[in-house]
Amino acid sequence: MSKRVLVVDDAAFMRMMIKNILIDGGFEIVGEAETGRDAIEMYKELKPDLVTMDITMPEMDGIDAVKEILEFDKDAKIIMCSAMGQQAMVIDAIQAGAKDFVVKPFKPDRVLAAINKLFNE
Amino acid sequence: MDNRDQYLQMFFDESAEYLQQLNENVLLLEENPEDEEIINAVFRAAHSVKGMSATMGYDRLTDLTHRIENILAKVRNKELLINEYIIDTLFSGLDYIKLLLDDIRANGEEVTDVSDYLYKLEEILENGGVIQETEEIEMEVETGQQDFTGMLPLTEEEKEDIYNKMTSDDKIFNIKVMLAEDCLLKNVRGYMILKKAQEMGYLAKSNPDQRKIEDEDFGNAIYIKLVSSLREKQIKQELADIIDVDEVIIHTEKKEVEVVKEVEKEEKKILVDNSKKQREGLSNIQVSPTVRVDIKKLDNLMNMVGELLINKTRLEGLNIQSDVYQDIIQQLDRVTQDLHHIVMQIRMVPIGGIFNRFPRMVRDLSKELDKEIDLIIEGADTELDRSLIDELGDPLMHILRNSIDHGIERPEIRKQKGKSPEGTILLRAYQKGSEIIIEVEDDGAGIDTDVIVKKAIERGIVTPDEARQMEERDRLNLIFQPGFSTSEQVTDISGRGVGMDVVRSVVEALDGQVYLESELDVGTRFTISLPLTLAITQALMVVINDEVYAIPLGSISETLLISPDEIMQVRGQEVILLRENTIPLVEASRQLNLPVEYGRYRENEEIPVVIIKSAERQIGLIVDELLNQQEIVIKSLGKYLVNIKNISGATIVGDGDVALILDVRNIA
Repeated sequence: MSKRVLVVDDAAFMRMMIKNILIDGGFEIVGEAETGRDAIEMYKELKPDLVTMDITMPEMDGIDAVKEILEFDKDAKIIMCSAMGQQAMVIDAIQAGAKDFVVKPFKPDRVLAAINKLFNE
Repeated sequence: MDNRDQYLQMFFDESAEYLQQLNENVLLLEENPEDEEIINAVFRAAHSVKGMSATMGYDRLTDLTHRIENILAKVRNKELLINEYIIDTLFSGLDYIKLLLDDIRANGEEVTDVSDYLYKLEEILENGGVIQETEEIEMEVETGQQDFTGMLPLTEEEKEDIYNKMTSDDKIFNIKVMLAEDCLLKNVRGYMILKKAQEMGYLAKSNPDQRKIEDEDFGNAIYIKLVSSLREKQIKQELADIIDVDEVIIHTEKKEVEVVKEVEKEEKKILVDNSKKQREGLSNIQVSPTVRVDIKKLDNLMNMVGELLINKTRLEGLNIQSDVYQDIIQQLDRVTQDLHHIVMQIRMVPIGGIFNRFPRMVRDLSKELDKEIDLIIEGADTELDRSLIDELGDPLMHILRNSIDHGIERPEIRKQKGKSPEGTILLRAYQKGSEIIIEVEDDGAGIDTDVIVKKAIERGIVTPDEARQMEERDRLNLIFQPGFSTSEQVTDISGRGVGMDVVRSVVEALDGQVYLESELDVGTRFTISLPLTLAITQALMVVINDEVYAIPLGSISETLLISPDEIMQVRGQEVILLRENTIPLVEASRQLNLPVEYGRYRENEEIPVVIIKSAERQIGLIVDELLNQQEIVIKSLGKYLVNIKNISGATIVGDGDVALILDVRNIA
């Protein structure tokens, strides 16, 4: 059964990019969220196998969302989507418990490599 | 001691000579990379310096020259080919030798940190510099004999630490992790590697250390000393599994405590003191250093942000139906807003800078005038734009002088009035919404409007007839008229020709306002309100007679659509009733003296009204159409168009057109 993914990014464009990459990689997209707040709600509802999480978003940023999701489910697999220049925030996110990160602009093989590694552990 | 001094002198002289030789010979080596004679000469000189340094007990110098010597040995044995990188590295090594020698001369000890450089040398020793990198690495993997414990020197404390943490199951692993050449966000990867290492055991040391990794101040190799009970293979697998890790090489130190002792012996030679840096833990918060910047650069930056904003607005104006477009616009919007916010913050300085000069002035003046005055300052830490601060000093000074001179009474008069002999002036600043409010309040005599009116008539500012029809507020505001001075006799304190009109014009030039409240024998309060920033503001765009105008949001309390039958007449003035407040209506085109027929709005079913607030009252401004809210960049009209009634500036809107900015507070 293909793994179920929740895609979180406030930019529809970015969501589309990552969705296409994931679908090509054999994943199933179960939901999309535009804010950290929505992401938490949707995580609780959908219990996806994986979350791709943007960092800067309105209402609640990705780092806080990671923290709350992990509070709800300590085994949640979350991969951060970062732009260059957000190093410090990515470190915060990893510290908070995100498993890995990918860098925008996304390269499909890198994104999939990072995700597949998570599931092979 | 005498002996040592003698040696020291000789050490300096001779090492300087060797250094000179080294410099010359490395230069020659660059031109003749194969020449054995030169290689030997460099080797010998480095060796000599090493010998002398070791004798004198200068460990960094010893270590440094030792490694340079190692490199030259490899070159001599044809294991390493001279290339530009190696020559450069050798030269910077010579510079380090000089720095260390200077340190010793100046302080008697080595200060310069050479650990980074040693690390670089080690990389060359291992990888043969840039050119032979891949081959060397392969060789390493095969032989597995490369030892890089030297990359992880330990201090006494760290060794102690390892002793304490180690159990009988634990081993010490010296690990080298190579990151991929094209690794993105290397510092985050580095952090993940350290984190993974910590999960597997006790991370005794890393080179580069945590901070350097987070600052992305390192090459592609990370060395780790890990104390763990896991097996070498497992550790290797775990680390290699991290994305962008190209290679993991692990050496296991033999076993247990004796091993540590052995390491200790070896490490004693290496006196690279990183202990302070290394002690800083993972959650370390860094103090950001500050930079002094010329205010002009910030002004330029603000201008650039303004330009960016104009172009963003123009982009928005295109209004293309596309998700990607909408998305870009949204992102751009956020970025420009953040940028604006940051630039504004950079420009903010505490108002205390100007407040601080007043206590002295108040003290001097009250002495001179035989008055007792207590100046209370509140909110000195309120921040506002730097350019405002510079302009505000004089008006505030003037208001304060007025309070001291005209406001606060002499002690004997105060006593007669039943007040305390000591007068109080309160100088207060605070932020209110997007405005900064500065108040100067005294508990003095207050302003007698009859006196004001009398003076104004005397000076020909108003006629007696006009004065009779004036409201109390307007009478009070007469003191802001040019050429007004209320002092019975002209003192040299506040009656110097520059009256309150100057205060008002300065404040209004800053897009601010001055209000005056006064009650006889109770006191007077001047309130200055200023926008947080001058250049960029949120505005409501409206249409008046087919032209687009901007109304700054700060002065709008709400917008309404009314029907003609809601309009009532009170003493010839059109008003509407809004939540039991009677609000007078004015027609924008009439205020602007536009050449159109007035009153046409009564024919419309819906009339757009913008409710404008000033401190004292509200009015309803009738416009033709309400458009949208947007950020505008305020541009002045230029020096040829000063004092245009009811227009405070202009801005450029989405389609590149100019929109005038209404000076609505003047209308109110």
